[in-house]
Amino acid sequence: MNALVIFSLLAVLMLTGMPISISLGLTVLTFLFTMTQVPLESVALKLFTGIEKFEIMAIPFFILAGNFLTHGGVAKRMINFATSMVGHWYGGLGLAGVLACALFAAVSGSSPATVVAIGSILLPAMVKAGFPNKFGAGVISTSGALGILIPPSIVMVMYSVATNTSVGALFMAGVIPGLALAATLGGVTWYRARKFNYPRQPKATWGERWKAFRASVWGLLLIVVVMGGIYTGIFTPTEAAAMSAVYAFICAVFIYRDLGLKDVPKVLLNSANMSAMLLYIITNAVLFSFIMTNENIPQALADWMLGNGLGVITFLLAVNVILLLAGNFMEPSSIVLIFAPILFPVAVALGIHPVHFGILMVVNMEVGMCHPPVGLNLYVASGITKMGITELTVAVWPWLLSMLGFLMVVTYWPGLSLWLPRQLGML
Amino acid sequence: MINKALNHLEELLVTFLMGAATLIIFVSVAHRYLAGVNIPGLQDWLLTLNFGWAQELCIIMFVWMAKFGAAYGVRTGIHVGVDVLINRLGDGMRSKFIVFGLLAGALFTGIVATLGAHFVWENGAHYAIFSWFGIQGEDLYEGPTTPDLEWPTWIVYSAIPLGSSLMCFRFLQVTWSFLKTGELPHHDHGHVDGLEDEVPPVDVDPYGMDDNLHMHDLRHTMVGDRRSGEERRNDAGSNKPESDRRQGERRTHDDKGEQQ
Repeated sequence: MNALVIFSLLAVLMLTGMPISISLGLTVLTFLFTMTQVPLESVALKLFTGIEKFEIMAIPFFILAGNFLTHGGVAKRMINFATSMVGHWYGGLGLAGVLACALFAAVSGSSPATVVAIGSILLPAMVKAGFPNKFGAGVISTSGALGILIPPSIVMVMYSVATNTSVGALFMAGVIPGLALAATLGGVTWYRARKFNYPRQPKATWGERWKAFRASVWGLLLIVVVMGGIYTGIFTPTEAAAMSAVYAFICAVFIYRDLGLKDVPKVLLNSANMSAMLLYIITNAVLFSFIMTNENIPQALADWMLGNGLGVITFLLAVNVILLLAGNFMEPSSIVLIFAPILFPVAVALGIHPVHFGILMVVNMEVGMCHPPVGLNLYVASGITKMGITELTVAVWPWLLSMLGFLMVVTYWPGLSLWLPRQLGML
Repeated sequence: MINKALNHLEELLVTFLMGAATLIIFVSVAHRYLAGVNIPGLQDWLLTLNFGWAQELCIIMFVWMAKFGAAYGVRTGIHVGVDVLINRLGDGMRSKFIVFGLLAGALFTGIVATLGAHFVWENGAHYAIFSWFGIQGEDLYEGPTTPDLEWPTWIVYSAIPLGSSLMCFRFLQVTWSFLKTGELPHHDHGHVDGLEDEVPPVDVDPYGMDDNLHMHDLRHTMVGDRRSGEERRNDAGSNKPESDRRQGERRTHDDKGEQQ
């Protein structure tokens, strides 16, 4: 009964359009004022202690690192490298777009930022080379979403914060699905390009490839710093994030010289702005999940599922449907923070591996970023291509459909996500 | 004037906290590994330093950054919401919902600021201020200190009342300016205004886009919205007058040039 009241109140408050963090907070306050004896002072304390964990601090650091490298210069180097590698195949520039998005997304950690950076450089080039606008927009808007699957990923940190899962294991688990999804999107691009006979680029020599690689490798080393540091145990994930932020600063200011020292305060301010927004959602989501556990809601849900004999297959299907629906209204971080604490205990009770469940949620979020009404990637792509959202939805559908297929594979084949971390002994 | 100073102070504070926290963690990690390297002199000096407090300070700095950054975020309109429904409404209804949402934000942050102030007062601020002025209170609670830095927690926790009051003030400010001008703060209007010949800058803040995660105000058409799609379709028919108008403008410019 209480659960119903809490959820309807939250839903109503959210739909009035106020910030998600505020609607979470107001729900909690209303509940505490009217239905429980929990002392209100503990709420104020919880607002501070809710984010008083060193693990959470990886989020601002990763955002900062990404913002230093979210720059046209870095994007250009990655595009050059990708074009020199795969440009001579069918759908040349399109395939290069997928590869460049995968590389840039891993470094910047943000899907929409990837779409802007790669799209605003590559899309005009594609149109000039003779690709239809629709094809390019479809490739870039979907490939940009790879950013939240290929580590380092902020959404994965959110999941680990909400469920106490190891960040390192999640990052490792994201590698193979990330590459597989990139291959899937590349496959669709290649198939369609062959079917409609889109232009190919001249084949690059190995010398050119080496030169392009040397230019882009400094940005890519960021992934090595993070993953290598965490895997070898040199850094904790948060320290790795801080080191990657410092590395990104050195890379952007002293190696690439894309940014001058005078631009640094602006990057810091922007990163602080974005991180503060996410941290504010986290604080209130922590409050919310505190009253959820207080009311035993996840436990009751798990008991109900088990009591009705609903198995893993039904549960996972239901999770996918719920998350895809939620993807129509909210952005990834909020969805993970609100739904993970509720669904996670059920998943664990059903014997689903926490890391596998995390990867499943992240892939779900990716799909949500590529379809209306809130798909962030589409809005960004629409700003670049000047296509309406409806047109873009049509342009995106071949790739979106293959992503849904991929989602099914990830959902029902845990080995795909769990194999690498198991081999590395992280689980 | 005071408002401008407050804006600058707020920006300076969050920028500083962000940069300094990164530096502190970097230095503490570098210290941990350099202290293991056998360099005479340097190693001895490094071993005398203790960076055990770095994590705690980093957490405190980021919590402060989060509280004040959230207030700054109200001013830049970065906070995301579920605005799919209200963005479908007509201007009149939508502006009512916008005002309601902003006031709800002010209400929540106001309550939290009050609760937080009460908490801080009870947990040491009262004691500290009374002993500062040498007033002998009846048994006041001195309050706990943080584990590593041993700072009084009430100073650390005062981020909640201070940050929340500022945020409450920002919500009221945004409400006031919305009522007056019909405009909401958005991160970047530049790419909206110059849509015809400009793409968003590469380092655009994706959370500042005019999508259905943010409330659409009454003054701007939004990127890629359903409505702008319709406009484009209408424009296809009425493209000519637009180009005529532009040519007309150009012609007047030319005329001026000839006259000069």
